[in-house]
Amino acid sequence: MKSKNRSVFILLFLILPMIHLVIFSYVPIIGNFVLSLTDWKGFGEIRFVGLRNYQRMFTNTEYISMFKNCGWYFLVAIPQLVFALLLAVVINGKFRGLNVFKGILIIPYLLNGVIISTIFIIFFNNAGSLNTILEWLHLDGLKHQWLQDLSLVNPSIASISIWRYYGMNFIMFFGALQSIPTELYEAATLDGCTKWQEIRYISIPFIKKVLFINILLSISGSIQVFEIPYIMMNGSNGTGTPVIMIQQSMSTNRVGFAAALSVMVFVIVMIVVGLQRILVKED
Amino acid sequence: MANETKLYKVVRYVFLIAASIFVIVPLIPLIFMAFKTGAEYSSTSVLEAPKNWLNTYNFAYAIRVGKLGKAFLYTAIILTVSLFFQVTMTAMVSYVLHRFEFMGKKVVMTMFTLTMFIPVVATQNLIFRMMYGVGLVNTMWSVIILYSGVGIVGIYVMLNQLDNISREIDEAAMIDGAGYFYTFLHIIFPLMKPACTTMIIINGIGLYNDFYIPNLYLNRDVQTFTVALYKFYGSMSTPFEIVAAAIIIGMIPIMIVFIFLQKYIYNGLAGSVKM
Repeated sequence: MKSKNRSVFILLFLILPMIHLVIFSYVPIIGNFVLSLTDWKGFGEIRFVGLRNYQRMFTNTEYISMFKNCGWYFLVAIPQLVFALLLAVVINGKFRGLNVFKGILIIPYLLNGVIISTIFIIFFNNAGSLNTILEWLHLDGLKHQWLQDLSLVNPSIASISIWRYYGMNFIMFFGALQSIPTELYEAATLDGCTKWQEIRYISIPFIKKVLFINILLSISGSIQVFEIPYIMMNGSNGTGTPVIMIQQSMSTNRVGFAAALSVMVFVIVMIVVGLQRILVKED
Repeated sequence: MANETKLYKVVRYVFLIAASIFVIVPLIPLIFMAFKTGAEYSSTSVLEAPKNWLNTYNFAYAIRVGKLGKAFLYTAIILTVSLFFQVTMTAMVSYVLHRFEFMGKKVVMTMFTLTMFIPVVATQNLIFRMMYGVGLVNTMWSVIILYSGVGIVGIYVMLNQLDNISREIDEAAMIDGAGYFYTFLHIIFPLMKPACTTMIIINGIGLYNDFYIPNLYLNRDVQTFTVALYKFYGSMSTPFEIVAAAIIIGMIPIMIVFIFLQKYIYNGLAGSVKM
């Protein structure tokens, strides 16, 4: 009797979340693999077209450039992570104003994509803050049409990611640093370590794993970029990304093609995750 | 802490002040703009302070025309219902996974772990068709249902908490004749409050700021705040100073949350990586 109750209890507690999981995560992934081989419009008959969707994705330069754009977002992740790491290292201590700095530095993490897009439209516009500041500094030669110039628009809007996402990395690094046992620091002080040596030989090695997780999050994040280029530019001026393309294909009822793009994004993220597993195990 | 030289202390302040400027500078023109009149906006530089700091016209206009009040209401309903399901279901799953041994436990755990790596954007193509098929698109239920899943990060936060709740408490309750449901609901769940709080804050910020899902599913009358703001901003007829005012309004709730709960955000986010 008892064990029957037990099984009923376990089943009842798991059943709803498991159904949710299967319907909203696993079915769509498998479904996309199947649909990516069709030219389904979202209604009517489903016709198989083989790999034609993928062929289109890889031969059309417009689509290829969307995948290339993701490269900019990955590139800016490097200064972003360095900045976040330095910030976490210097803020890890006790000093006057600590809480004020912690408060200011977390602001971007709290803002949504629409707000951030508006802020940076004002920043990058022709008469925006960036050009105004350059004028003040008598650096008129550096003024540009940041959002119109085709060679500048992608790096410009990609760099917004630094402002937007460093906070997340910073908090994770900070948390990892806080978990380092204080005895280690005390021992270092007794041995006469300088602050620089302490950072170099205790802090950095200790948070290597979190650093690694953040690098991989940045890679998989850069393949899924959507909000900023979509809201700011609507994907125009060559700022499209694979996810914007998925969105547009969905709204024009090209379900088969959207499925192929989704599969591509999924596969790339899976490769990154797989790499993580392999590299972390070796460590 | 270790031997912090004078130089290090100076470098630290210089770096932190520079970082704060980096954060604040892009925000300044937005704040200025929200208080400027239309004529003032088009004739002054973005980095010039408004003449009248008490000009509330833009805010009033934004609330009236942007239907922001309604959007806030929908956002509040969606957040409350979704977070309720998220937190209770995550607690239930975590409790079962932590306290019981059963067949298929490993499979269940692996299935939850793997979803962390499935990008949401790569699943919506099909889910949208499903939601459309059952007529939930443009109702808040589509968004609530999607938000009500159990995520692995939440499970880890809860499992950590359960590590600190002695099994003897469960056993004592059962010896006293309490059933499994009673033990969980009246004894263990209340003890999991800190983990629930962390989850509500971290996930609450995430859901409040989410744009992708509500933008996809809510295109008509029912809108969340982010979508209302986007619609507002996307229609070229809306003057920019009004958009700026609307944004300031949108920042208020999150700033209030942040001022009161800063500690939880830092601890919660940091805790979620210690998996």
